[in-house]
Amino acid sequence: MSFSERLKADFSTMTLVLIPVAIAINIVIGQIVSLLKLPVYLDSIGTVLVGVLAGPWAGALTGVLSNTIWGLTIDPNALPWFPVALFIGLVAGLCANAGLFKTWWKVVISGLLIAIVAAIVSSFINVALYGGITASGSSFLTAYLMASGRGVIESVLATSFIFEPIDKVATALLAWFIIKGLSKRYVSRFPRAENA
Amino acid sequence: MPDNLSLYIERDSPLQRLNPLTKLAISFSLILIGFLGPGYWLATLLFICVLVPLSIWGKIGPEFLQRTVRLILPLALFLFVMQSLFYPGGRTVLWRFWIFSVKLEGVQFAYLTATRLMNMVGAFLLLLLSTHPSTLMTDLTRRGVSPSLTYILVSTLQIIPQMRNKANTIIDAQRSRGLETQGSVRARIGALLPLVGPLVFGSLVDVEERAIALEARAFKAKRVKTSLIHVPDSVRQRQVRIGLVVLTLVMIGIRLWPL
Repeated sequence: MSFSERLKADFSTMTLVLIPVAIAINIVIGQIVSLLKLPVYLDSIGTVLVGVLAGPWAGALTGVLSNTIWGLTIDPNALPWFPVALFIGLVAGLCANAGLFKTWWKVVISGLLIAIVAAIVSSFINVALYGGITASGSSFLTAYLMASGRGVIESVLATSFIFEPIDKVATALLAWFIIKGLSKRYVSRFPRAENA
Repeated sequence: MPDNLSLYIERDSPLQRLNPLTKLAISFSLILIGFLGPGYWLATLLFICVLVPLSIWGKIGPEFLQRTVRLILPLALFLFVMQSLFYPGGRTVLWRFWIFSVKLEGVQFAYLTATRLMNMVGAFLLLLLSTHPSTLMTDLTRRGVSPSLTYILVSTLQIIPQMRNKANTIIDAQRSRGLETQGSVRARIGALLPLVGPLVFGSLVDVEERAIALEARAFKAKRVKTSLIHVPDSVRQRQVRIGLVVLTLVMIGIRLWPL
């Protein structure tokens, strides 16, 4: 199958209808998690879900649109972070293509891979726009590292590499649990059903 | 959980009547110039001399200022405290107390970052407060953006309030069964699955039905579709948009090749 044919197959009507639900899942679960005051975000479960069921490009689109809608409706500060969400969906889809969403320990590896990419991309945005300090709690660690004589980029990267893996492994596992909980008949309606 | 969805405020003003693409061009050029343009005071000037007058022209001045301040003030305060104390390479000490010392370089850096972010948030808010998302999407579809993308954005905006209602119902239901949503971290992690499970599975069930409904209405047909809403545009606005693109490129050029 050529690339454009693959894309066409990935963006089936089922995918188009899944994406809005996935974005809503991202946003609403993100808000439930902040309501429960848990030390994670878990705001990309829907993105990972689409990445697994409909391929990396659909996952990437879900990520970008999630941030866009978060920015449009809740906080415009979310808009410049869209590349992070893009890469989360893309890497989740690529991991699923490689068969890394089949058993729980492979899902943990996927979560770690997603975390590494997300940490690198978000560090770039953080340093370029915010100079290392954002409104999130993890910035205290960044500030501590900066004060102890390390460079801005080094400090931000170190902080991201500590906090991202917990969040992204939990995200990947939750997305996997959700897919496991769906019926085989339902999952088979999606273009990349064989990945799950 | 907050319930207001679109930031749009319905007012009759010249700004609201501008073509959405023109407002999109204004916002993006202001953001790019704010971050990449030359000069320490540029972002401050853009906010005071461009964004504030535009918002008053659009009769949304008070709302614009209030929302910008509410979004940017906590972040700005945090930035000032952290950067003035911990900015690497700060030498000029303004004053010190206990083990801390406030450095001039840090304060300057915090001010620059804060004003740039204020300019960014303000530019986005100006667009969002004066443009309804579906007007923006209608116009972009007419200009060749895929109708699938429009469908995704518009239906997401409809699904989120429904899902929030569902989430609130589930939270209340599980609490009434004795689910602990406060207390220790372990209790709160334990509360996550009973809340997330019903919400996610419940929403995914609707997906299949909606897909069949769309296919039955020939959503994927290749023909050009007509639109019910007409979004006005003018030659003058087109010229302004081209002007803004050129101005932005020149500003980035000045930044990349300093004379």
